[in-house]
Amino acid sequence: MAKYLRKRLLEIIPVLLFITFIVFFLVFWVGDPVALMLPEDAKQEDIENLRSALKLDEPMLVQFGYFVSNVVQGDFGKSFRYGEDALPIVLERLPSTLTLAFTSMIIAVLIAIPAGIISAIRRNSATDVFVTGFSILGKAMPSFWLGIMLILIFGVIFKILPVSGNGTWAHLVLPSITLGTAVSAEMTRLVRSNMLAILQQDYIRTAISKGVKPLSLILKHGFKNALVPVITIMFLQISTLVSGALVTEVVFAYPGLGQLLVQAVSGRDMAIIQAAIFVVAIMVILLNLLADLLYKVFDPRIKYN
Amino acid sequence: MTMENVALEVKDLKTFFHTEDGVVKAVDGVSFNVNKGETVAIVGESGCGKSVTSFSILRLIKAPGKIEEGSIIFENKDLTKIKESQMRDVRGNDISMIFQEPLTSLNPVFKVGDQIAETILLHQDVDKKEAKKKSIELLKKVGIGRAEQIFNSYPHSLSGGMRQRVMIAMALSCNPKILIADEPTTALDVSIQAQILTLMLDLKKEFGTSIILITHDLGVVAEMADKVIVMYAGQVVEESDVFTLFKNPKHPYTKGLLESTPKVHELEDELKSIPGSVPSASNWPKGCRFYSRCSMRLNHCNDNAPELLGDENHIVRCWLQNEEVVKQSEYAK
Repeated sequence: MAKYLRKRLLEIIPVLLFITFIVFFLVFWVGDPVALMLPEDAKQEDIENLRSALKLDEPMLVQFGYFVSNVVQGDFGKSFRYGEDALPIVLERLPSTLTLAFTSMIIAVLIAIPAGIISAIRRNSATDVFVTGFSILGKAMPSFWLGIMLILIFGVIFKILPVSGNGTWAHLVLPSITLGTAVSAEMTRLVRSNMLAILQQDYIRTAISKGVKPLSLILKHGFKNALVPVITIMFLQISTLVSGALVTEVVFAYPGLGQLLVQAVSGRDMAIIQAAIFVVAIMVILLNLLADLLYKVFDPRIKYN
Repeated sequence: MTMENVALEVKDLKTFFHTEDGVVKAVDGVSFNVNKGETVAIVGESGCGKSVTSFSILRLIKAPGKIEEGSIIFENKDLTKIKESQMRDVRGNDISMIFQEPLTSLNPVFKVGDQIAETILLHQDVDKKEAKKKSIELLKKVGIGRAEQIFNSYPHSLSGGMRQRVMIAMALSCNPKILIADEPTTALDVSIQAQILTLMLDLKKEFGTSIILITHDLGVVAEMADKVIVMYAGQVVEESDVFTLFKNPKHPYTKGLLESTPKVHELEDELKSIPGSVPSASNWPKGCRFYSRCSMRLNHCNDNAPELLGDENHIVRCWLQNEEVVKQSEYAK
C-alpha cells in the first residue's frame, strides 16, 4: 500500500512537468507577451528593454528553466489586472468553486443513484423510458441555457431564490442544479447499466435463494457492487464540474475560479491563467489518486501492487 | 409409501419461457416425489430442463420464464401459489440451494462469514454475535480449518473447493428440510469433487436432509443417489431406484447415457455417444421426443407421444414398454 502510494506520487512528477510545459507555452501561443504588457504606441526601444528585463530574450529552454524554478516556489508572476501575485488570487477563489462542485456533486448523486437503480429494476417500463429521456435531455441542455432558464423561473417569475453572487446556501441552489444536471444525467445511465449487469449475476440469485428481502437485495447485494464504477465517474466528473463552472459561474456571477479564469482570459492576464490551470490540474490529479485509493474500501478484490 | 414420508411433491410442473422466438417449453409436465432423507438425482444432458426444474422449486425463474402449470407441494403448501413473502420464509430456511459456480455464486464484496450469518439472521431469532458463532461452527462442520480466519475472508481469496464448502455451510445454516444441489461439483477439480460429495453425504446423515441433486455425471449419481430421475427434452423419461437404473435401464436414452460414460476396465478404443442433439424446446416433436436419436425407434413412435409406463418402482416413457405397440409396429429406419 505504502509502496503503491509512493509509486503513484512519483508518477505525478512527469505529469506536472508536462502541464508546466503547456502552461509555459500558452503565453507564446497567444502572441508576444511583451507587446501584451505595453500600450500599443510603445517605442521599439521600450519593448526591447522590457523584453531583456523579463529575460524573454534568452533561449526558450532557459526561459522554461526559469519558469519551472519559479513555479516550484509557487511564483506564477504578478497579475496585470490585480497587480498582485497570481497564485494567492487563484487559491482565494478555490474554496467557493470547490463548494459549488461539491454541492453539484451531491445533487447529481442524489438524483442519479435512485433514478439509475429504479430504471434498472423496472427495465423497459414507463419509468425507465421517462428516466432515460430525462437523462438525455439533461445531458443535451447546455448549462448556460439551463442556468438562464432557472434564473427566469426561480429568480424572476417566482422570486424565491437569489440569481447571483454568493454567501448563503440559497446562492448555491441554482448554480448547483445547473452544474449537477449534466453530471447526474451521465451518472444515471452508468448506474442503470451497471445495476442491470449486476442483477443478472449468480450471487444475486444466491441471495434470493437465501430469502433476502427485495430492498436489501438491491441495495446491499446489488448496489455495493456498483460502487466502484460510480466512484470512478464521480471523481472523473469533478473535472467536468470545474470546467463547467467556467460557464455557470459567469451566468450566476458566482465569484469562483471559473469566473476568475474567464475574466483573466478576456483580459489576457497570463499569470492568472497559468496559475489557475496549474491548480486545477493538480486538483484533478489528486482527486483521481484519491479515487484509486477509495476503490479498495468498496471492492476487496482490488489489490495495490 | 405414505404421504407423511414425502418431503416434496412436484406435480405436472410446466415452466415455459416466453421469448421473442416463441414459447420455449423448458419443463413440460414433470412430476416426482422426494421422500424425507432421500437423495434424488435428476440427470440429463444440458438443456433437458433439469436446472429449470430445480429453480422452479424455489421460484427462482426470472422473466421471461414462468411457471405455467402444476404444483409443488411442500408441507401442505403449494409453492407455486403462496405469496412472495411466504416464499422468502421457505428459501434458505426450509429449502436451500447450492449452485454450480462457487466462484460467482458468492457476493464478491462481502466476507464469506457475513454471507453465512446473513442467512441465519434472516430466518432465526438470534443476535449478530450468536449468528457469527453459529457461522463459525458451520464452517468447521463443512471441514474448514481456521474457521475464524476464513469467516473474515472474501470469496476471491478462497479456492473453488473452499468456496463450495462455504456455499454448503450457508445452505445448511438453517437446517433445511430439502437441499437442492445444482451440479455442485461440476466446476471443481476431480480430487475436490469427492470431498464435497462425501461432505454432503455426511451432512445428510447428520441432519436427515433430503437432497435433490442435479447432475449430468452418472458417477456422482451412483455415489450419491437413492432414486434417479432421467430427464430428456423437458420430460421425465425414466425413474427408478439407483440400483435398478444402473442394472436394468429401460429407456433407450438412459441406456445411451450409461454407455457413453467412459469405463476404464473396458478395452474399447471409441467412446460411445448418442448421435444427434436435443430437438428445439420451442417446437417439440409431436411423437416421442427422443425419436430422432433413438436406435430402437418404432414407426409408431414418430406420431404418438409415449406416456410413463411401469410400476411405482420403475417408470419409463417409451413405447417399447407397451407390448401391443411393439407387436403391431415395425422398427423404423
